[in-house]
Amino acid sequence: MQGGTIVSFTTVRHPPAGFPDTPVKLGLVALDSGIQVIGQIIGENAMIGDRVAPRLRLARIHPQGLRIYEVAYESLARVAEEDAFVFEGYLLALTGPSGVGKSTVSKILSKALSEYVTPVPILTTREAKEGDDGEYIYIAHEEFVALQDRGLLAASTHIPSTSENRLYGYRTSDITNIWKSGRMPVVVTEMHLLQGLSRTFGRRAILSCGLLPPGSSRRAMLSQLLHRLRTRGRDSEQSIADRVKNASADLDFFDYRKELFDHLLINDDIDTLIDTLKGHVLRTQEETH
Amino acid sequence: MIGDIFLTGCGQTKFGEWWQKSLRDLIEEAMSAAIADAKISPIDIDAIVIGNMLGEALSGQAQLGALTSAMLPHRPPALRVEAACASGSIAVHTACALLESKRAETVLVIGAEKMTDADPSGVAAALMGAGDSEHDTPSGLTFPGIFGLIATRYMHEYGLTREDLSLVSARHHENAASNPFAQFRNAVTPQAVSDSSLIADPLRLLDCSPITDGACAMILSRTHRSSMSLRASQIATDSLSLTQRPTITSFASTRDAFSRACEEAEITREDIAHLELHDCFSIAALINLEDMGFADPGTGIRLYQNRSADFSVNQSGGLKGCGHPVGATGVKQICDIAKQLKASKQQYGAAHNFGGAGATCCVHILEHTTNP
Repeated sequence: MQGGTIVSFTTVRHPPAGFPDTPVKLGLVALDSGIQVIGQIIGENAMIGDRVAPRLRLARIHPQGLRIYEVAYESLARVAEEDAFVFEGYLLALTGPSGVGKSTVSKILSKALSEYVTPVPILTTREAKEGDDGEYIYIAHEEFVALQDRGLLAASTHIPSTSENRLYGYRTSDITNIWKSGRMPVVVTEMHLLQGLSRTFGRRAILSCGLLPPGSSRRAMLSQLLHRLRTRGRDSEQSIADRVKNASADLDFFDYRKELFDHLLINDDIDTLIDTLKGHVLRTQEETH
Repeated sequence: MIGDIFLTGCGQTKFGEWWQKSLRDLIEEAMSAAIADAKISPIDIDAIVIGNMLGEALSGQAQLGALTSAMLPHRPPALRVEAACASGSIAVHTACALLESKRAETVLVIGAEKMTDADPSGVAAALMGAGDSEHDTPSGLTFPGIFGLIATRYMHEYGLTREDLSLVSARHHENAASNPFAQFRNAVTPQAVSDSSLIADPLRLLDCSPITDGACAMILSRTHRSSMSLRASQIATDSLSLTQRPTITSFASTRDAFSRACEEAEITREDIAHLELHDCFSIAALINLEDMGFADPGTGIRLYQNRSADFSVNQSGGLKGCGHPVGATGVKQICDIAKQLKASKQQYGAAHNFGGAGATCCVHILEHTTNP
């Protein structure tokens, strides 16, 4: 059972037949894994954005006497979410669909601003592949889950794929160590991980940049990505198909969750993009010091 | 649309509580009215499509295709389709497919629902069949509850107030007052909406479309010409459960079906003079307007705050004012658009109908030609 955050809630005044005849508060909860569920909300004055913890509750008794338990969600502190975080520093997050060039941008940026920024390694349960360039730490599935359970991951997600079951995440310690050394961590991320980071460190701590492929329409952008993935030659056709499917969801995400991004940048010309990012990073660094 | 599909005739029962009329009676009444309006012989009908959601659950009646076909002397081929509250419009969509493929020349389309005889908790449970029985139903969620979640989130994201939201139902009631087929022909003040009892916070009784009996029928034909023709019929779907959507304040199926329909009809949204949209709950009307592009996200309420002289929304009274006999609504909306175009002599109108919380959405575009 996992905790999560309340996305929305309602009080059903007339529950359907078979349920206790008293109003029940139900919520749509985004669990930390990225999955959403609907369940009863326990606690007065629960609000959107509240953290919730799972509690097993007797939901109803079936006419045949079967006792049915469901997971309900108890709202934790009624403190506004942002205020609960201690600001340790800024984190640069690069989000975008597969193939848009996040890793390349991160690499060039880390060289160009080597005095200021350090890339954060990505933990993954997938096999090492030719073409991977030191950005990943490969660990076993069990080890990953153990880190997750002990609360040592700042964010983690399961990226759907038809061929394998892959988990990705960042260690909290990797990020805080970079802050301690007085530098800015750079993460190459995607939608679920970005939400996770925002939950762990607070939205305010993230300098969040979305990277878009060039193209005037959605179709043009996707075909541009397909072309890049094919020329990169790192993935099989099956895996490319998966990635393009995920990319399509990623593009939607820029629209749906505008509030999670500070800047949306088009990766048309890499030099211009790097200059823009450098500007954002340096300005943020000045602000902090 | 391959070739011309004419809307040759329409007919409907008054929507309301019809304790003395069964599902079969309602179907027969609407069908006879449509045939009379079309001025065709019943034996010209070579297929029937009927849209209905709750025949088995509330009337103990399935096999509505055969039931309806037996009402005509020559028993034409007949089938029943279902997509919850979009059952009516997908019946029209199915009829279009039969006509376009030349399986049929003239099709009778019916939408019918009999809801008021069952007890309300039974109706609520049956309607929940439109949700996801594994992800939504076990928590005790109801349909008002689903839209309560959507409304809470929408108010959170866009700052919509209770007073604003009450304008939606008030306008629909006002429009229904001049519709002789509507269930509620009384005006309701926004204050009365805000004061009505809570159903699923923040939604109140007068935010919700009612439980209604009614049927509506139309004759669609390739050969019996008329001044009304269907220019587009498009279906789009989304996940059944809210839990599987990236956002709950926008309906992807509405966006997809509407943009495809405009593409098919080769028109833009500005060409549309009359719109009937699916306002099963007041909040749905606002989100649908935004997803169809008539308003920017968060600003749908402006179309209810200010009236537009050359664009009408739910002039019939919508689901709130007319009543919402689930399977009949999608057919009725198209018939209402035809009436509105005839009266205003405008060219294009659109009908937007969805099932569940937009899991299935079907959009039709109707063209009125003054010289057929």
